[in-house]
Amino acid sequence: MTVVCPEGHASADPEYCDQCGLRIPAAAGPPQPTQVLPALEDADTDASPAAWRQPCPVCQAGRSGEDRYCEACGHDFLAPPPVACAWEAVAGADRAQFIRRAPDGITFPAAFAEKRFPLDGTRVRIGRSRAGQDDQRPEIDLAGAVEDPGISRLHAILERREDGSYALRDLGSTNGTTVNDDPAPVSAETATPLADGDRIRIGAWTTITVRRL
Amino acid sequence: MSSFTAEVYQNEYLPAGGSEVNAIVTVTSGAGGEPAKRPDAAEILIVDTSGSMEVPRGKIKAAREAIAVAIDCVRDGVAFGLIAGTDKAREVYPSGGAMAIADDHTRQEAKRVAEKLRAQGGTAMGSWLTLAGALFDTAPGRVCHAILLTDGENLHETPEQLDAVLAACEGRFQCDCRGVGADWQVSELKRIASALLGTVDIIPDPTGMAADFRSMMETAMGKATQNVSLRVWTPQDARTGLVRQVAPTIEDLTDRGTQVDERVTDYPTGTWGRESRDYHLCVHVPARSVGEEMLAARVSLVENNEVLSRGLIRAIWTDDEQLSTHISREVAHYTGQAELAQCIQEGLWARKAGDQATATFKLGRAVRLASESGNDGTLRLLQTVVDIDDPETGTVRLRREVADVDEMALDSRSTKTVRVGPAP
Repeated sequence: MTVVCPEGHASADPEYCDQCGLRIPAAAGPPQPTQVLPALEDADTDASPAAWRQPCPVCQAGRSGEDRYCEACGHDFLAPPPVACAWEAVAGADRAQFIRRAPDGITFPAAFAEKRFPLDGTRVRIGRSRAGQDDQRPEIDLAGAVEDPGISRLHAILERREDGSYALRDLGSTNGTTVNDDPAPVSAETATPLADGDRIRIGAWTTITVRRL
Repeated sequence: MSSFTAEVYQNEYLPAGGSEVNAIVTVTSGAGGEPAKRPDAAEILIVDTSGSMEVPRGKIKAAREAIAVAIDCVRDGVAFGLIAGTDKAREVYPSGGAMAIADDHTRQEAKRVAEKLRAQGGTAMGSWLTLAGALFDTAPGRVCHAILLTDGENLHETPEQLDAVLAACEGRFQCDCRGVGADWQVSELKRIASALLGTVDIIPDPTGMAADFRSMMETAMGKATQNVSLRVWTPQDARTGLVRQVAPTIEDLTDRGTQVDERVTDYPTGTWGRESRDYHLCVHVPARSVGEEMLAARVSLVENNEVLSRGLIRAIWTDDEQLSTHISREVAHYTGQAELAQCIQEGLWARKAGDQATATFKLGRAVRLASESGNDGTLRLLQTVVDIDDPETGTVRLRREVADVDEMALDSRSTKTVRVGPAP
């Protein structure tokens, strides 16, 4: 017997959808009729040949022929396009902050390439991953060749608000988190809303600027 | 058919926006009954007879005795053979391009041949494995197992040649590797054992060889099922981040999968006797809204496309942080064991490179992880390389004089894990 999952996929497994894995609620009353899904061929004939070569909306890699899945990131081209990313975070090294904090035994990096992170999740963690622990890798991972040793493994988190902007919460970091020139650390309990251009300061010299695109 | 069970340990609750699902799957074979002792096994003993096996003089003698012990362990009806390896492989028993069937007569014959083994020549392990593969092919349908014993480096072959042989042998037979003395390369045997789903260990002293061979043979003779795969189904848009055997040893299978269809991948697990293994899976799924539940992965044990057992890994999104921030004990334990193995590797590497600070830090961390998780075996091995001041903080001092065999024992056994202890 085939059932239909809440997203409309036909599934032979009555408990979890064969396609998207979603839990299928126990059927009340007679089973729903099977919805016939458009065959892949049908979906493809709708798209013009030019559309086949459209870049992947997630990773921008070129689409290979009429493949359903992106070769680079596995994105499903038949799935609805993801929400366009409207905010980004840019991590850089700030000498003024370093001088103000004057941490012992840490030198200011000679060169630090800015790192850009598109903000596209509802929860974006900031931290510094340890090798071999990529299971808990934060979305904004400041581990690398040049590292700020003052950043905790999971340091802070950006939480998306209803209007699409982000609010900041400390995750019990060792050295705390501040915003702009306010010396008071942000709270771990209540989130601090961020405006376009706000600078998050963590560690000895790291500044993360959030920007609306 | 053997009986298999799969149990899943996980915290299925994810925070809003969370997409990473971790679980430990415990697979037990032969639970609730002795697996049928099937005689249709095949066993090949591969012994290094390169010139170095004569030095010290006891080595080839101990190898001969160990082979005799191993031959005595071969059950009636099992196909078996003996290969002597130098810069080429020679089938010394039964010879003639096939395998012998074990009975009192063939076992005696094979032991007489083993007594005459002389050491002379070079080392090309790939050629030994190729011959073993060809012999196993003459006995189709059997659970195939080999033991490779060496004392030196693979000098007469390039790493690429060995890799090509391993690729050709993968999935055809299992191979346990043993290094005797201190002149062999741990990384080389690890490569072979890892590709052929076997174990690797050091036999520091030739006199220990016979006992080790007996235990390997007893394990091999208990194997009843081969070519069992761990089959993982994941939903649309999900990505399998990690498939790792975490007990009894760590073996990363993430890149070893064979895609069955667009949502199903099979990972090799080799042969099974009556035993239990743990696997750590990490699946990234598209985040759903709070209150929704989905299947993140369906894990099954499959033999010849027949599903032996099955477990479900689920994801439920919640805004209750009490639920979502909890890390499953099993996942936390094995994440620690994997870090332990990695710290030992990095520590030993730094020690060889002369980087005392990194070596002290990494091995100190390893001591702390081993002590916290009750991995006493690994802790004892670490003690041969460092002096431990305080296991709780991981304060250690590197030892100045470390025997090669001790360092190699730690290196080869660093992936041995302990099971998660009972709940506090």
